[in-house]
Amino acid sequence: MNKALRNPMTYVFFMLPILVLYILFFIYPMIDAFAKGFTKWNGIGTPKFNGLKNFDKAFSDENFWNSVKNNSYFILFSVFVQVPIIVFFSLLISNVKKLKGLYKTAVFIPAVMSTAVVGILWSFIYEPDIGLFNVILTKIGINPVMWLSDTNWAMVSILITNAWQWTGFYIVMVLAAILSIPKEIDEAAVIDGANGFQRAISITMPLIMPIISVVIMLSIAGAMKAADIVIVMTKGGPGGATDVMATYMLKYGITNAKYGYGNSIAVLIFIFTLIITAIYQLLIARRNERVEY
Amino acid sequence: MIRSMKKSVSHIILLAYLIAILYPFLFVLFSSVKSDNQEIASNPFGLPSSFHFENYHEAWVNAKISTYFINSLYIATLCSIATILISSLAAFAITRMRYLKISKGLYQFILIGMLIPGNALLLPVYILLKDANILGTHLALIIPYTAGAIPFTVIILSAFMRSIPSELEEASVMDGLSAKGIFWRIILPITVPALVTVFIVNFIGNWNEFLMANYFISTDELRTLPVGMVGFRDTYNTNYAQMSAGIVYSIVPVMIIYGVLQKQIIEGLTAGSVKG
Repeated sequence: MNKALRNPMTYVFFMLPILVLYILFFIYPMIDAFAKGFTKWNGIGTPKFNGLKNFDKAFSDENFWNSVKNNSYFILFSVFVQVPIIVFFSLLISNVKKLKGLYKTAVFIPAVMSTAVVGILWSFIYEPDIGLFNVILTKIGINPVMWLSDTNWAMVSILITNAWQWTGFYIVMVLAAILSIPKEIDEAAVIDGANGFQRAISITMPLIMPIISVVIMLSIAGAMKAADIVIVMTKGGPGGATDVMATYMLKYGITNAKYGYGNSIAVLIFIFTLIITAIYQLLIARRNERVEY
Repeated sequence: MIRSMKKSVSHIILLAYLIAILYPFLFVLFSSVKSDNQEIASNPFGLPSSFHFENYHEAWVNAKISTYFINSLYIATLCSIATILISSLAAFAITRMRYLKISKGLYQFILIGMLIPGNALLLPVYILLKDANILGTHLALIIPYTAGAIPFTVIILSAFMRSIPSELEEASVMDGLSAKGIFWRIILPITVPALVTVFIVNFIGNWNEFLMANYFISTDELRTLPVGMVGFRDTYNTNYAQMSAGIVYSIVPVMIIYGVLQKQIIEGLTAGSVKG
């Protein structure tokens, strides 16, 4: 009876296309980055092994550390600004009866859009002369700000845009968790005389901790991935003020054809992401046991 | 009384958030039919004095939005179908064919892909495509896009196929169907709802992709919409009305798809790994 579903040739035939593509575009590039990261190579001729020189260079390179710093701004902003906002709005939406569907549908819209288009749209809003923000500032008598070309404001402007795009996405995730909590729990608390705020803090919050934990992890991963928004809005400028590790890698690796050094930065992105995930798992994820209703 | 006041405070805060989300779209929509930059600057909030729909024509024809649009449509569709095809074959082999130990191992192996930071792969994939001599052609996007969605697609399709009762294919085996027959005639038709979800999510992902499209293609004729739009802004940055029309062109298709299939999109996207 199992013969038809125990055909080795068919099994190989079914698995082969995906394995070839997967190995070629996930596994091989990862190994290749590790191999080439230890070489000096401009793309022509054979890569020359030069040990840890690239990594030495990266670690003493101020611009590289600056890009690491900007990545950490992304992470800190996501975790300490965005996540509280996400939780606040999720609780708010879960508590209203009217328009719940509208809020849920609308907040998600920016997440289905191209980051490039979001970037263009927001550069328009930040535009110094005719952009929405400066027109408003001028109207209320405040000096206009060069949002994207001022070193002090460029990073903040990008973080706001990024938050605008992704906050609603996580709200919908958290909202789904809140709405799946059995109503009886909340009703019991109402009978016991707990008000809305008390119920949110002592009932809903503990029950949604696991999903908040997932949201924190996803937004850290997202913060490590954000590069397109930077390329579109500022290209890393002004003067590298908004460079993140990935844009720095692209600048070296592709634009300047320094493949060896570029690949060593790719390796560092791997390692940093791994370290952050490991720290997160050790510190936070392990404490959040599964919640059973 | 206090209760209803609390409710209205909630609604006021939520409406403010809603405006913050939706107003930028309205701003672009209004700007797209204004006469020039001067009108946008002097009247940023209101409707235009007269509607200049020629901005849309200019953007579509002169700024080549039409070319970018067709490139994006073609690449996103082709890659999404290709990913689904190979992933459903694999998901079938993993979940329905009787090689449990190998399948479990291969499944875990493919899952690793979800943990690999995509940005770190950009440069080695660039080098790989360069060595294969396809850098600068559409294949340089088609193959990595198809491959890139594999882990997510396999996870979703495997989960779905695992939930199909095994009596179904046992009966088909009795009737003399081969594994291929069971896949095409029994399992795949049942999997259609999951296929629709992963198709839409992959399509949106491919339609929106920017980094590879920006670095792996250098000919203007071959550019995809997001890259074309950025080029548009950099070249025509004096004409914000036309640029806004271009933005509207890039947003409308995803908005329509989202309007029709929001449930599938939300489920699919939140099941995959994403950024923010």
